[in-house]
Amino acid sequence: MTDTLLAQGLRLVEGKFVSQTAPEANRIDLVIEPAQLTACAGALAAARWGYLSAITGLDHGAEAGKLEALYHFCNKAAVITLRVTMPRDNPVVPSVCAIIPSATLFERELMEMFGVVCEGTPDPRRLFLPDEWPEGTYPLRKDFIVPAPPAAPEE
Amino acid sequence: MPGTQKEKFIIPIGPQHPALKEPAHFEFTVDGETVTSASVRFGYVHRGIEKGAENRNWTQAMYLLERICGICSHAHSTAYAIGVEKLAGVPAPPRAQAIRQILLELERLHSHMLWVGVAAHEAGFETLFMYSWRDRETVMDILESFSGNRVNYSANLLGGVKYDLGPAQADSIKRGLDFLEERLHYYMKIVNNDESFLRRTRGVGTMTTAEAEQLGAIGPVARASGVARDLRVDAPYLLYEQFPVTIVLGSTGDLHTRFVVRIQELFESVRVIRNLLAGLPEGELTVRFPRRIPEGETISRIEAPRGGLFYFIKSGGGENPIRVKVRTPSLRNFMSVLVGSVGHQLADVPMILSGIDPCFSCNDRMIVVRRQPGKESVS
Repeated sequence: MTDTLLAQGLRLVEGKFVSQTAPEANRIDLVIEPAQLTACAGALAAARWGYLSAITGLDHGAEAGKLEALYHFCNKAAVITLRVTMPRDNPVVPSVCAIIPSATLFERELMEMFGVVCEGTPDPRRLFLPDEWPEGTYPLRKDFIVPAPPAAPEE
Repeated sequence: MPGTQKEKFIIPIGPQHPALKEPAHFEFTVDGETVTSASVRFGYVHRGIEKGAENRNWTQAMYLLERICGICSHAHSTAYAIGVEKLAGVPAPPRAQAIRQILLELERLHSHMLWVGVAAHEAGFETLFMYSWRDRETVMDILESFSGNRVNYSANLLGGVKYDLGPAQADSIKRGLDFLEERLHYYMKIVNNDESFLRRTRGVGTMTTAEAEQLGAIGPVARASGVARDLRVDAPYLLYEQFPVTIVLGSTGDLHTRFVVRIQELFESVRVIRNLLAGLPEGELTVRFPRRIPEGETISRIEAPRGGLFYFIKSGGGENPIRVKVRTPSLRNFMSVLVGSVGHQLADVPMILSGIDPCFSCNDRMIVVRRQPGKESVS
């Protein structure tokens, strides 16, 4: 069942990805270029292959200089992940909201937490961070260090 | 007025508002009394938990993640524990898995009953609210006698569970379930027969099957619209293969159906807990678990009370997780509120909102900044 679903999904995005791996039995990870994102997501969404379950941001650190956005599509037990790598100093991906309108909340989170620009997203406002949060500070990047909490008052 | 364009009228609701007890900010654009668009802003109880998990070791992170939500705390720690156990290649023993599953279903019981109360309250039906919250205490007492805690039971370890279920406890659970089952029949009768209740729920907040599919709705909200999505059935974890639940589906997708689906699901929970207690596997509660987890990435998904809970966990081979991504069911379902409220009366919005059983602490996981002049602190 899961294998059939994965094979179906893979056929939908054939020729639209760079490489593929199978990290777990129920999963296929597809490495794609940012320009291929809307084509891949569009093919899966048009065929109603599952639903976009989450977008995970990953920071590989200043040394590697790369950010990654993972678009997880879940169909029953099967998970197809589209992996887009971006340079850390200019991370831009096209928005998928035109294809999957419900992705707007995920994209808003990705943008404010990692500083990724989702080009063409309908609502670029912050979702979780407060208004007074400093511009250009992205808390889920690895170089954001959580300051130590203030010391407890002495007894 | 001649030549004036129709102006947009925006009604801001929240973060403190009369309808819900948790903070979120909504903006509803209205034309007269009819909602024409909606947007949302969260973050008022954001605590930085995803970031916090990166700064803790594998065990400490589990206790932190359990605190994402007070209602489905066990769902969070179980999803995390299953994921880390997959990465380590060390599964929990069968008895521990059975106990985890019993707790998950008990949690579903008290979570859905909490919702029945809240939703009844929104509908102006205070008696049902009082009844369901009183009866819910039965589950809370069971959980307290089992673990010492009403919430955040802290039952999981990496590689097992802390507490065993003895025959005396099994008996008290069974007694509690007998009582609850009777009460569930009563709720079902009210929900299906009370005229004023039906008027507040039937045909309100309707989401068709196609809309639920397209919006990616999950959990009882999706199932009430006839979308067969339940990870306990689709991708069985723990012992859901040996002790399965039957998926409960509605068809009309309105608020009334969501009540019916949630209550029917509880009958399923009661049934599966009884089966688990009858067939509890013998054996150890824990296995030895490594401090360092081999490099890798995993996705762990379980069916929390509000829908599919999604964990992405990445290990770099060390004692800390490199990344823990949590996508809670409420965030996924909020889209259905934003889209679903369009075209409805503003007065129906509280009912539509509570129809998805929104959980704000689940959405808000990350960071709160307190700014003092010249100095910033993050907690």
